[in-house]
Order: sequence, then structure tokens, then C-alpha cells
Amino acid sequence: MRAILEELAAIFGGWDGDVREPSKTPTRGRSQGPRASRDGDEDAGTDGVAGEPDLVPATALAHDSAFNHFAMRIHAAQRATNPVLRRFWDASPGGPAAFWHGIPPVPAAAFRDTPIVPGTPELVFRTSGTTGGGGSRGEHHVLSLALYRAAARANYRRHLMRGAGRLRVLSLIPGPRAVPDSSLSTMAGFIAAERDVAGTVWAFDPEGGVDVGAVREAAAAGEPMLLLTTAFALVHLVDAVGREPVRFPQGSRMMETGGFKGRVAEVDRATLYGRAERALGIPASSIVNEYGMTELLSQAYDGVAGTAPPLPARVHRFPPWVRTRALDPATLAPLPPGEPGLLAHFDLANAGSVCHILTEDLGHTTDGGGLRLLGRATGATPRGCSLAAESFLRATMAGRQPPERTR
Amino acid sequence: MTTSRTPRIDAWAFPPGASAPTGQPAMSREESQLRFEHHAAGTVAIRYPKSDHHLAHSLISTLRSARTALAALATTDLITLLGSVGERFTRSLDDAAVAEIAANSGLSPAMTREILTGMAASWTTDALDRLVRAEFPDPRVLDGFVAEAGRAVHATAPGVTLHFGAGSVPGVTVTSMLRALLVKSPVLVKPGAGDVALTTRFARELHRSDPRLAAAVAVHYWPGGAPAWRTWERELLTRADHVVVYGGNDTIESVRARAPASTRVIEHPHRIGVAIVDPGAAPGAAAEAARAVSLFDQKGCVSTHLILLLGDRTTARRWCERLADHLARTGATLPAGALSPGEMSALHQLRGRLAMRGAASDSIEILSPEKTDWTVVLAPAEHFEPAGGRTAWVVPVSDRDACLEILVPLSSVLQTAGLAGIRKDDARFAEMLATLGASRIVPLNEIPFPEPEWLHDGNRPLGELVRWCEFHSPGRA
Repeated sequence: MRAILEELAAIFGGWDGDVREPSKTPTRGRSQGPRASRDGDEDAGTDGVAGEPDLVPATALAHDSAFNHFAMRIHAAQRATNPVLRRFWDASPGGPAAFWHGIPPVPAAAFRDTPIVPGTPELVFRTSGTTGGGGSRGEHHVLSLALYRAAARANYRRHLMRGAGRLRVLSLIPGPRAVPDSSLSTMAGFIAAERDVAGTVWAFDPEGGVDVGAVREAAAAGEPMLLLTTAFALVHLVDAVGREPVRFPQGSRMMETGGFKGRVAEVDRATLYGRAERALGIPASSIVNEYGMTELLSQAYDGVAGTAPPLPARVHRFPPWVRTRALDPATLAPLPPGEPGLLAHFDLANAGSVCHILTEDLGHTTDGGGLRLLGRATGATPRGCSLAAESFLRATMAGRQPPERTR
Repeated sequence: MTTSRTPRIDAWAFPPGASAPTGQPAMSREESQLRFEHHAAGTVAIRYPKSDHHLAHSLISTLRSARTALAALATTDLITLLGSVGERFTRSLDDAAVAEIAANSGLSPAMTREILTGMAASWTTDALDRLVRAEFPDPRVLDGFVAEAGRAVHATAPGVTLHFGAGSVPGVTVTSMLRALLVKSPVLVKPGAGDVALTTRFARELHRSDPRLAAAVAVHYWPGGAPAWRTWERELLTRADHVVVYGGNDTIESVRARAPASTRVIEHPHRIGVAIVDPGAAPGAAAEAARAVSLFDQKGCVSTHLILLLGDRTTARRWCERLADHLARTGATLPAGALSPGEMSALHQLRGRLAMRGAASDSIEILSPEKTDWTVVLAPAEHFEPAGGRTAWVVPVSDRDACLEILVPLSSVLQTAGLAGIRKDDARFAEMLATLGASRIVPLNEIPFPEPEWLHDGNRPLGELVRWCEFHSPGRA
């Protein structure tokens, strides 16, 4: 297993953001046909990993055959090393899988009560919560921090830092010292440690909220900033800024992530970006949304900061080592592009835990290999007068708060 | 999302004389002259007047003035009047009406028909008479003072009762409305979004039946707790004499916090039902349990979620297979209503999560079809959580004492306990269940539809509405 994790880390680390068709047959992928075409502006790629001539280039994972090859290798390793997963798959209907999409997905909720790891993790990421019962926090036991870093790094460099030169980082996401078990904070820490980051201001405290003074001070420093924020913190910032807008220097950009549920009055994304543009001087084309979750070590972005299209034209994209399908909410049968369903992701970066995750998110895929998110699949139907799980937990397990889902 | 082709229900029924927003009688106004909001519930759109201070004032005043005429009716006559409305209304429910009620509630038409048939059994003259006499052996105490051991007593009705109905179980709100009318309290009813069609239809039948009832009944849906309706709700909560509220903890806590201290709030929080089965002594219990789980699509307060099965795991496994078979059969005759994507997602997450737990411990087995129509979970008690969607949790237990132990943490939310194969004369066991919080202990096959006089959530449903007055005449010794 360790060898696979290291191999994947090297492959992901060599990705320069290209997802176009590779010009050569991959070394190990044994490509058997073209992958689905992808739309959007992608630049040229490489055919191999620099300094690692035996490795499959990450771009090759865009081929279904190469992707499947890795997926099944990982699946075999996970079966061999994690008896819980093996029993879960053996008990699932359908028999042994020949392709990655035949491997039964593990529901995200399973991370709340069953450690999914075939060894001693280097660290454990915890959700700040998940609605829908259970009452406990999800835990992602991470075997290789290097693999997480490699999966996240290539992606955030492409979508947040491309063409920026030296940047300063202003983070409204608490740093990894403040929240060491947050995958998002850990990623913010990776970004802060980049060589071309000139310095980082941590301007959010889990207890005290947004430090508006620190934000104004950072903006006044005159260097382009990369603002990292949750939607929750961003709403608070633009509210706090009020009638005295902050003017971030030209070239500044923003990564926004997460939802609003249960925290602040719900604001649609277009309204929020408009308010952020007016309050902070960062144009909407320089604000990109990151979609991620504790249970997945890879992330999707809906544009490249600085050249992001208008919101209606945006779709989220994962790196080529992730496949996403929308599944029929009733039967979990796969749906064609354009039809909304429950999202299931197969993330090779999850080799150390479990790759195929059934989420509670609604969305649909696009013909070009993108992903449109439609929000959380929450039960909106009136329930009648029978007790629901959350109320049951409140009544029977006082003190165990049904939490919300963020990272 | 609603479209112009979505069926629409007008979610109000006002008494004659109650004023619409501009001061005109609402019943005679053209639709275009009212200001409306819309809300989607089930597969219909429901339309209702906007929040308006004058309307709130007018509704309460009109209802309050109806009290005198209602009080003048002899209770026996009122029973006959209300019962005849109930019977006539039930007969009038043709397929189109059932289809509309089903579309509004999200239940299948067959299930809706089954529920209406069961609930309507409590709306007949005989049933209402039983209910009144169970609580007031001499019903004349509801009409005036009746001599009783050296004094006279009279059960008086609240001026106006405000009802907050449950979400999507048709019939619960009608029953609640009838109870208040039986004790001569005019009613203002806010049905749940999924119970608008039935409630407004019933109210219109009351309006047609008798001018005294017409003046005493108002139905008005609004999205409870919505910011735009906070002032409206405050107005009504301040003006109503009694409040009856069905709902989750948030709803009940919110109403309780806003009602004046002088207003009695009668609460019906969400509950769960359990079944205790000795399979060896009750060969038909699997079929009965499937029905108890399936009825109301498991959204009723009486609905069974947890089944404690006396026997070992092997016995329980075999019984679960029978239960699964009966759930499938019940689903064929009483199909499940459409679940929202969120509800289906929650069931998939639950199934998968339990499957992972089962893989980790071998203690959990799941039987289910590919779809989310029903689920049987065989698991130790500590895994139990009510999931809805016709999910039956079966826990093997060694004996009755073990049953009681498992139920201890559920005591604050427990309502109905259905028994199968348990000796009827086992009074000690029933006593223990009562001590734990069960308010209704019945044979398993009687779970879905309580008797008219049932002790709803542990209270006498008419008794908790009235206020007693005792009169000691000056000349007594």
C-alpha cells in the first residue's frame, strides 16, 4: 500500500494542470481508447513526470483505461489490507467489480463511525459535523500526508496561483495550528508554505471570528493577496466592512469554499460575489469556488482565479485522478450528463482509505466532464408527527449535538 | 419548483363575516382581489392570503363571537351535528378528492385512502359520542352546571383554540379540530403544508352544514415560523385562548416561548412507536408489524420504528425475512409515497453506514430492495435511530426485562407500544411500560388507528381542552 501511495504522490506532484489528451500512450495505463472530452481552457501538458520517467503522467489518468488500471490496483490493495472494506464489498450486491464504477461506494456518513484505514494514519481529519443523524463527527484517517499535499497542491497552484508571481496570503480559514484536524486548514497551511508565498496573515479565529483590522492592514500593504475563505467567513467580512470598503491591490484573488447552512442567512453565490467585489475590490472573475470535503483528499474548482467565467457558465472540475457520477437517488443507478442526482466520487488520492464515496450532495455532470453542484440533498418533505433521527438523538443523547457539515 | 400546470389548492376557509385584507368578506371576494403567496407541498402548489394584521384581528373576533351560539347547542346535538358532517364528508371523498389529498401529502393514493378510512372511523356520530362519554359520562356538564356531590360543576370551553397541525399526515388536524368543537371552542386551524387539502375540504363541509359551525371554524395555512409571519403568529398567539400544537421540538419550543403565560399550550411533540413480539406465540406478527411500519409511510406518531423480538439472533433473522416479505407485499397494495432526494439520500447513507458497521462487527444485517421503499435492519439496540421511509429495526432480546432496559433511553419520546404474543394478563409488564413512558399499549394489529377516546400522548384529549368551574350555592350546608 505504501508503495502505491508514494507512486500516486509522485504522479500527482508532476501534474501541471493539463487534462488534455496525452500525445503518447501512457507507460502503465495501457490506454484503450479516448476518454470523454473536456471543455474549458486547459493548457498544454507533459507526457511524463519530470525526473520520474517510469511514472504514468497524471494527464494519462484522463484515459478511462489508465484510470481504471490504477483504480483496480488500489481496490485490490484496499481489499488485501482492510478487512472491513473487503467484507463491506463482499456483502454488497453485484459481485466482484471489473471496473472502478462497479466497486460499491462507501457512504460519506460511514466516516462518522467506522475508521477506514489499513494501518496507522499519519493524521486524522475530522469534519466539523454532518447533518442527518449519527451525532458524531466524521473522521478521515489519512495514511499519507504527502499524498494529500500532492493531490491538493497541483490543483490549487493551477486554480489559485497561476500567473500570479509572488503573492501574500490572507486566510479567513483557521490555520493548521489552530485546527490541526481540519483538512481545509491543513490545505491552507500547504498554500501558506509555498515558496512563492511572501507571507500569510491568519485573520480568522474560531472563537473570535474575522479580524477585520487585520484584513484592512493586509490589504493596505499593497501587494496582491490570495484570500482564502469560507463562504461563512466571507459573509461576515463583507458585513463587517460595511460602508468602508477594503481595496485589495490589483491582481488579488480569492478562493471561497463551503456553504452557509445553519450559520448565516443563506446568500446565493452571485449575490455574495457581487457584494465581495464591491466590499473588497476583488472582481468576480478572480473569485473561485473550491468544492471539497473531509472524506475526499482531492478538490474541485470552478475556474482559474483571474480568468474565471461568469458564474452561470462555471462548472467544477476535479483533477484527472477523480471521477464523478450523478446517481439516481432512488436506485443509485448512474445518470447521464445533465440529469441531477446524488454525487459519487472516485478519488485515487483516497487510496489510503477508500476511493469511492457516495456523498449527500446533489448535482449533475456535464458533457465536458465537469460537475454542476446543486446543493445538499436535504429532506424537505414535511415529516408528519413521527420522530426524526435528529430529534431522537437530541432526546436520547443529551449533549451530543447533531453537527453541520464543513471541513 | 412549481409551474403553472401544477395543481393548486386554496389553503384557507374563513367563516362568513371574517374580513379579507381590504375589509371585504373573504368568502365572497374574487380571487384577484386577494393578495396571495404560494408554497409547494407534495406535488401541488398551495395558495394562501398574505399575512395581514386586520385579517388576524378579524378572524379571531369573528370566531370569538361564534362562541355564544356554539355554547347554546346541547352537546348531544353537537355530537350529532359534527358526526353527520364527518360521515357525509367521508362518503363524499371520491377518487379525485383522494388524489388531491394524496398529492398534497406526498402519500400514494392507496395509502391515502387507507388512512382516511381509518381516521374517519373517529369522525362518526357514534365515535364522537363514545369520545365525549368516555371523558364526560354526563355530557351535560359541557352545557352547564350539573349537580355533583354537594356542588355543581361545568366544563367550559376556551374562547378560541388555535391549532398548529402536523406536517403531512392527513386527518390528524381534522381530529384535533373536531375535539375543540366538541367542547364548544371555535377553532382557527393552521394545517401542516401536507395536510391542507383535507383540512380545508373538511372545514368547508362544516361551513355548509350549519351556520353555527360555519361561524366557528377558520382554516388558514401559512409557513409556520417564517420571518414574514412572525408578527402574524404573535398576534394570533396573543389573542387565542388555547393553543394546540403538533410538531417537532423546534416548533413546540417556539410556540411555547411566544404564547402568553395565561394561554394554555397543549403540546403533541413527535413520538415513536415500538413493538414487542414473541414470534413463537404470534405467528401473524410479521404481517402486522409490516402494516404498523408501513401505514402513514411511518410518519405517524403511532408508527412503529423499533421491534423488540423475543428470541435469539437466528430466530430474529428468520423473522426479519418474513417481515421483509410482508413489507414488500404491503408496498404492493399500499405503495410508498414519493420520497424527496434528501430522504432517499438519508436512507442510502444509513444503509451504507450500517453495512460498514456490519462489516466491522458482524452485528448488523440489512434486508432491502434496491430502491428505498423499505428497509429491515437486524441490529443490537445501541444502533437504533428512527429513520423513516418504512425502516424497521429489529432487535433480538432475551426476555421482557431486556426489552424494558432497551426502552429506558426512549422514555421521553415513546408513545405506542404494540404487543404480539405477549400474554394479555401480564399486568406487570404493562405497568413497567407505562412507567417508562408508553402512553398506549395495544395489540400489534391495532397500532395504526387508535380508538376515538384514546389517551393521546397520555392525556384525555377533551379533558385537556376544558376548564372546570365548580358552583357552590349559597344555601348549602
